[in-house]
Amino acid sequence: MEKNSNLSLILTLVTIGLVSAFILSFVYLWTTPYIEANQAEVRRRAINEVLPGAEEIEEIDIDGEIFYEAYDQDNRQIGVATQHSGAGYNGMIDIMVGVNLDDSKVLNISIVNHEETPGLGARITEEGFRSHFQEKPFGDYQAVSTEPTDPMEVEIIAGATISSEAVIKIVENAVEKINTVYGGR
Amino acid sequence: MTEKAKSLFQIFKNGLWKENPVMVLVIGMCPTLAVTNTGANGFAMGIATAFVLISSEIVISIIKNLIPSNVRIPSFILIIATFVTFTDYFVRAFFPTIAESLSIFIPLIVVNCLILGRQEAFASKNPTHKAIADAVGMSVGFTWVLTLLGIIREFFGMGSIFGLQLLGEWYRPMVIMLLPGGAFLTLGLMVGIYKHLSREG
Repeated sequence: MEKNSNLSLILTLVTIGLVSAFILSFVYLWTTPYIEANQAEVRRRAINEVLPGAEEIEEIDIDGEIFYEAYDQDNRQIGVATQHSGAGYNGMIDIMVGVNLDDSKVLNISIVNHEETPGLGARITEEGFRSHFQEKPFGDYQAVSTEPTDPMEVEIIAGATISSEAVIKIVENAVEKINTVYGGR
Repeated sequence: MTEKAKSLFQIFKNGLWKENPVMVLVIGMCPTLAVTNTGANGFAMGIATAFVLISSEIVISIIKNLIPSNVRIPSFILIIATFVTFTDYFVRAFFPTIAESLSIFIPLIVVNCLILGRQEAFASKNPTHKAIADAVGMSVGFTWVLTLLGIIREFFGMGSIFGLQLLGEWYRPMVIMLLPGGAFLTLGLMVGIYKHLSREG
């Protein structure tokens, strides 16, 4: 067969494509369980972080939104968490937000996924910044660059205004999402 | 035999300094500039690229005579993409933290012109043992530059090296070093120093 004939060109590419697909389907089968386990682990850790002291966590689906309800050993509901996303500086930020419905306050937040700049925006994952949201009442927060004086003020990270404000926005929306579903109870 | 080993070593050494892919050939700039904001990221990117480069040079140098020259490039890209996809899955399954920090740049190894460039310039014209020597040399050359670039940017941008905090609270980090601008500045200075060192006479 002529080496540069159309048939030989097609056959070459088809063969390489088939062999590649064949190999990769095995790689996919092999790695998928590990990848899924990693993602589940990240989510589980985030839920535990935002719902401290939970004995049992129930996952419920309300109108297509997933909520995690936490109960203590006496089967009393101690909090509700949900994951919410929004645009950050470089890409989407996924945040798990846990709230206490009894006194309408945020328990804690955890950054599940983000693509912010290392050393700058990526510092939203640090305890120092996330702890600003603990014990915050529900409502609209004000971003400030100095020590907060009002409970509705949140101190942002120097040099990462956009990332910090994105987190504030996402937390506000997450709280609102929980409030519209659980608020009437 | 020694003559042969010597020529292989020459090919290997080429990539380290004289024909360093970043400093001299100036190829593979996208990952070089984008992911080197910490030493660890630079190193991880170097290793991922090395794996793809070495595997694809081996495969292509073995099957080079079976590929018609008209479909040479698409064939190379298919083979490279196979190894890149493998790397992507593998890193996400077993090194999730690295996968998170390199994110989109692992799939983008496919279009790293260092990889395709070496197939076209070397693997498709040379026997397998030489292709391996070339791939290993280029990989080491690429990795050391990326790692050094990452170390410098991390040191000035965060005051740490490989995540180990070296400078205390008194240090005000130079934020620009972590942003793309810092990559251009650092790489420019590195190439300048390199040219100065390797100037003959």
